[in-house]
Order: sequence, then C-alpha cells, then structure tokens
Amino acid sequence: MIRFILRRVLAAIPIGLVVTLGVYALVFAMPGDPLRELAGDKPIPAAVLAAKRAQFHLDDPFIVQYLLSMKDILTGHFGTTFAGADIADQLRLRIPVTLKLATMSLVFQWIAGLLFGLYAGFRRNGVVDRMLLLATLVVLAVPGLVLYFTGQYVFGVELKWLPVSGARDGWPMSYLLPALCIGISGFAGLARLTRTSIVDTVNSDFVKTARAKGLGEQRILWRHVLPNALLPVVTLMGIDFAGIFGGAVLAESIFNLPGLGQFMFQAIKLKEGGVVVLLSTLAFLMFIVINLIVDIVYGAIDPRVRNV
Amino acid sequence: MGVALGLALVLASCGDGKSSSGGSGSSGSKSEVIAVAADPPEYINPLNDNGTAGIGVSMAIFAPLVTTDPNTGKLLNVMADSVTPDKTSQTWTVKLKPGNTFQNGQPVTAKDYVDSWNMTAEGSNAWKNNGFFSKVDGYDALNPPTPDGATPKPTAVKTLSGLKLVDNLTFTVKLKVPFSQFGLTLQYLGLAPLPEEVRKNPDAYKRKPIGNGPYKLAAAWNAGDDLKLAKWDGYKASDAPEADSITYRFIPNADTAYNEFLAGNVDFTDVPSTKVKSFKTDAPDQWVTSVSSGANYLVIPAWDPRFKNPKLRHAFSEAIDRKAFADLVGLSDPAKGLIAPDMNGYRADACKYCDFDATKAKQLLAEAGGFSGPVNINYSTTSATGQIFAEAIGNMLRQNLGLQVKYTGKQSSEITELADSHKLDGLRFSGWGHDYPSIEDYLTPMFKSNGDANFAHYSNPALDAVLAKGDAEPDPDKAIKLYQQAEDIALEDMPLIPLYTKSNAYLHSDKIEPRVSKYVGVSALWATFK
Repeated sequence: MIRFILRRVLAAIPIGLVVTLGVYALVFAMPGDPLRELAGDKPIPAAVLAAKRAQFHLDDPFIVQYLLSMKDILTGHFGTTFAGADIADQLRLRIPVTLKLATMSLVFQWIAGLLFGLYAGFRRNGVVDRMLLLATLVVLAVPGLVLYFTGQYVFGVELKWLPVSGARDGWPMSYLLPALCIGISGFAGLARLTRTSIVDTVNSDFVKTARAKGLGEQRILWRHVLPNALLPVVTLMGIDFAGIFGGAVLAESIFNLPGLGQFMFQAIKLKEGGVVVLLSTLAFLMFIVINLIVDIVYGAIDPRVRNV
Repeated sequence: MGVALGLALVLASCGDGKSSSGGSGSSGSKSEVIAVAADPPEYINPLNDNGTAGIGVSMAIFAPLVTTDPNTGKLLNVMADSVTPDKTSQTWTVKLKPGNTFQNGQPVTAKDYVDSWNMTAEGSNAWKNNGFFSKVDGYDALNPPTPDGATPKPTAVKTLSGLKLVDNLTFTVKLKVPFSQFGLTLQYLGLAPLPEEVRKNPDAYKRKPIGNGPYKLAAAWNAGDDLKLAKWDGYKASDAPEADSITYRFIPNADTAYNEFLAGNVDFTDVPSTKVKSFKTDAPDQWVTSVSSGANYLVIPAWDPRFKNPKLRHAFSEAIDRKAFADLVGLSDPAKGLIAPDMNGYRADACKYCDFDATKAKQLLAEAGGFSGPVNINYSTTSATGQIFAEAIGNMLRQNLGLQVKYTGKQSSEITELADSHKLDGLRFSGWGHDYPSIEDYLTPMFKSNGDANFAHYSNPALDAVLAKGDAEPDPDKAIKLYQQAEDIALEDMPLIPLYTKSNAYLHSDKIEPRVSKYVGVSALWATFK
C-alpha cells in the first residue's frame, strides 16, 4: 500500500509541472496587458508602469516568469496581487470558504444523486425514473448562470428564505443556496450513472447465478449488486469532488462568497499568472489526493483492482 | 445661446423617481448600507487609488481641498481657505483653513500636503495618482526615464521643486507652464493628505486609514469584511453628510448587488447595464438618474491614411442615426459635441456634422473619393454590449453609405495596446469622463498632441496653440471661449465622432434620498434621511 501511494505521489510531480506550465502558458498567452486591464480607462504614468512591471517581473521572458512564480509557490513567499492584496492572507481567508461550500454542495449532490439513481435503477420505468430523466434533461439544458441567478432571485429576493449573497450569515445559512445550486447542477449526471450502473448489474449473469443459487435478495443486493454497480459511481464522485472547484468559480462570483473560486475569477480577469498558477496548483494537489483516495476506496470495494 | 439649449437638454434628461413615504429604517439612528459593485479595495489611500470604488470610499474618510457646490456648480473651499493664482496662472498659492485635524488628532498642515504630494510624485513609489503631478515643476527629476524592464530606482531628489512651504498653513505650487484650470483640479480627492505617521510607513496603515474627512473606521476592516464607518465629530467643514454610520458592502457582480437591493438588504446600488430597461418596474419610486455625464465616441485611427480626409469622417458621422443608437444604449442622449452636457462651456449645437442625413453623408463620401475595402469595427469582448453596439454602427454605415463592414472582437486592453502601436485596423469605441469639471479636461487629454487619452493619436498644432492660450487665460469665461475654439477645430478634423452621452441610474431604499446634482451627479454618501 505504502509503495502504491509513493508511486502515485512521485508520478504526480512531472504531471504537476506539465499542468502548471500549461496553465501559466495559457494565462501568458491571453491578449492584453494586465496592468492596463487593472487601470481601466485611466492613463498610467510611465514611471508607475515601469515600477509595477518590474515588481511583477512582467518584462521577463515567459519561462523566467514561470520559474519565479513556482519558486514563490514552493518557498511559500506568495507576495501580493496586482491590486495589492497579500496572497497568503487571501488564502487563509478563502480556503475555508471554498471548503465549506464544496463539502456542502457535494453532500447535496451525492445524497440526491445516489438516492434518485438507486431508486430509479431498482424501479426502472417507474414515476421516479421518468421524472429523473426529465429533471436530468432540464438541469443539463439550463446554463449554470441562469440557474444561479434564478435561485438567488426566487429564494433570496422573492421568498427571502436564504441570504441573497455574501458570507455574513456564516455557515450554514450563507452557503445553503449556492451549495444547493451547485448540487442541483451536478446531481443529475451522478443519478443517471448510478441508475444505469444498477440496471446493468442487476441484469448481469453473476446476479442471475446468485439468484439461481437461492441467495436471499438482501444478500444479493449488498454483496453482489451494490459493490459492482458502485464502481463507476465512485470514480465519478471523485471527479466531481475535484471538479467542484470549477463550479465554485461561478457560484462564488455570483453569490459573492470570498472563496478561492472568486479569487481565481479575479485573477483570470486581470491575467495574474502567478495567482492563477498558485490556485491551479492547489486544485491539482487536491485532485491528486482525491484520486488516490478514490483508488484506495476502489480497492476496498473491488478486490480485483486492489493495489494495482 | 448654445448654453441655454444645453441646459434644456440637461434638465430633460434629469430623472425623477419620486420616493414613497413610509421608510424601512430599522432604528432611530441614521445609518445606510451602500453596495459597491466592484472588487473590494485592498487598502485605502487616496493618493494611490484612481478607481471609482476606492476613491468613492475614500471620499467618506478623506476631505479634498476644494469641492464643487452641488447646488450652484461653483467651487467651494473645504480644507482650503483660498486657492489663488498669480497673474500668469503659473504659480498657485494654497492657504489652508486653521483648526482642521486628522483623525489621530494631529493638525492638518501645509507640510502634510507638500510631503504627501512629494511621495506620490516620486515615480519609484508607483502610486497611482503620480500622473497628476506631471504638470508641476520638477516632476521630471522624480520620474527619470527607465529602460524597459529595469526597476525604477529611488531618485536622489525627493521633492518637487515646484512645491514650496510658505508657513504652517500655506504652500505654493509652481507649474511647468501656466494653467488656468489648476484650481479646479484641486478638488480631486486623490490629492488628500496623509498624516505623518502614515507617511512614515504607508503599508502599516493599508487597512486602517487615518483621514481628515467626515467618517472614520467604526470597526476593524479585514479582508472580506464590509467597510464600516462612523461619523467623526472632529470634522469641521460645512459639507458634512447626514448619515451617522455608513457601511460599504463590496459586491463584485453588479447583478448580485442589484438583487441584494431588491431583497431589501442594501440602501443604495448602481443599476447595472443589464437592468437599464427594467429598473423602473423592478423598484418603482426607488430610483434616481443622474444628468448625462461623460461622452462616448467612435475613434478614427489618425495613423490610417484611408481615414485621412475629414470629409470622409464627416460622412461617417452624418450616416449615424444617433437617436436610434442612444435608444439602443438606453438612458442615453445623442451627442452633438465632444463635451459632456453637464460641463460649463458645453454647447448642444457644437457639431455641424452630427445630424443624421443619409443623402448628405453619401455626398460627402463621394466628395472624399469613397472608401476602399471593408470598414473594420473593433469591439470589446469584455463588455456585454460591445458586439451589439458595433453591429448597430456597422449597419448604419452599410445601409447609409453602401460600405462593406466587418467586425473584430478583442479584449479592451488588447485593443488599446494595438491602437497604441498603430496596428489596430479600423474604428473602435471609446469614452471619457472628466476628473475635474472643466471642458479643458475633455480637450487636453483627448485632442492635444500626445494627450493622456488621445485615442485617435490625433495631432494638430493649431489646436495645441489654442489650448495653450486657454491654459494661460486667467479669466474663466475667456478661457472657456478659447477651449470652445479648440473643440471647433477638433470637430472639423473629427478624430473622434461624437455618439452619445449617458446618464447613470441608481436605486435607493425608502429610508434615504440620494443627493442628485446636475453638477456632481448622484451621491449616496450625501443622502438625506427620512
């Protein structure tokens, strides 16, 4: 097991380099001068521009800028953003916000996805199954932006059940609505996958054999159907967890939650390569860790893939 | 004559969303929550901030030397006792009122101004309002040219030779050349003084500003917090606002800020461009609009020989149905000059080529020898409406002049960069709002050779000469006449085609009535309470 983990961690290093370099290159390739973007329409005096360009190494070649950014990240000297914010402070403020939002939305997403998926899978072509199909189509068709603003308007402005935006009401109140929105936009895919997987497994030969052997239904369900049906589901849940950061970018911006997603949005807007790479590195590390956990869980469910 | 017409237009565009009575004030004290649709500032230092959000917030904490009287449009002293030019308008004497203090109890002195301004003028500090001092004698010594990529070194010279302390409350400012409008520029809040303890270590006071204005911090202000201010009883100037406490809440997404208002959580917010058509029904009796301010243009690239003939430019201008375009933009009026209508010196009939006339447009185009190839219109993909506006203008040029048109969408900073290096193909949009209320602040930046915001890269020595004359003219009315001559020259050459002027809309709760002035616009800070 230890060797397995070590191997995965070592394999992550070159991938991490490629990912961060790629992200940095993408930000670097974005057109327009970041300092001009920050200044808006106002002219910037040459001396001020020169000082800022030097401070953020904007005149250095691409690879030098990238290496300087990586050095800052690895040594923990994050410095400040173009707008003057202390990045370490920002991380301290923002990581808990995003973690709270991500956990809550995943709980919504997983509970709804698994419940509906399992139920629809066992009661195929029933009312729930058909409603799930309809809901899936609707959720997949409605863009996140529309869903988030509609949720904000209905529950925040009209019904006044939940805060419109901001983190002032603390956990859980401030996070309920954005988490619900992320959960709704994400649960459908999980539910569909769970349903299909259950249907496939229930009809597979080994389940028929188990039934022919005279095993009890409960035993068939818990020992034969679920462990096999949930394999692809666990994979998707892992990917979901890592992808939640993408959802947070939009949700935190619309619901004005001071999390990493909002930070990422600002940084991309201003073409702050250093911040984007820092946040991408964090996301990447999370991805690696989650992938590792998924693989371990995978092994626990299915002995065939244990410690591969 | 033009001024009267201008006034009529200004008044016509002045909105009147009456407030219903009742009020939702929760307590007896006068407090308001103002939503600011912008990323929260990371520090408060007016000298190092030129963004609308930061300066807006600083206005509550700091006080300017002079201000514009919202009722009369005249200059009003705040921290200054008097601001007087010498005969040539080159050296200005600023006398401060005695008895004003900073919020730490120290008196506000002439030295505070001179030292704060010197700090800002030093290029290596990279403070954002550095450019303001480029007019002051000695600026170049503090801002030597830096080779590309090099870090500007702190200069040996630390003070502007044009700034001289006379006594504890008096200092003089010597400019490089005479400038009759300098007194007006002193109302910019970005010139507010910092007290000595802040000047010694500005970084330590990023989030705990010590101002000389009507409000002070009411609670610690950490990243992610609302900015909570309380009335400071040491403020002695006569223009103190009414509110006892003010909370600024930063909501970067303007649509979210709008929803926060509709939910009753904030007392004041801007109407974002996406809600221009619906705000009157969303919040009946809770809106106000400002007089049209700022001006928006179509920029002709002066470096492109295909656009060189002024007749061609006039043909483009005559082919644009400004009324229809202003309706498309919303809350806007067709522009018939280069100056915003809320300026002293604005003439509503300044432009002779701005009335929609397709026949005349075709004729002018023929006289100019036509235009070869498609006209490219650049628009900003950063703006939600960029493409729509570009297509509207493109259709007018296509239908009324029979020209081929194409469109290019780019990020606005990229468009600016391309234009700066003369590599941009075709037309683009631009807009300008003044920093101080003088028509000179439209003409110098946009039309003077090498002006700060010379979008078209236009240059005409005749115009530069008239501007210089206006700058040297101490009589304000005569100066305006000279500036109007400059506007006439610019309209004949037409590097910028006037399009529209826009008013802004704001929503306010029943508890407050924002101050609406045709001179200084709409202010929540100076709202009255019901």
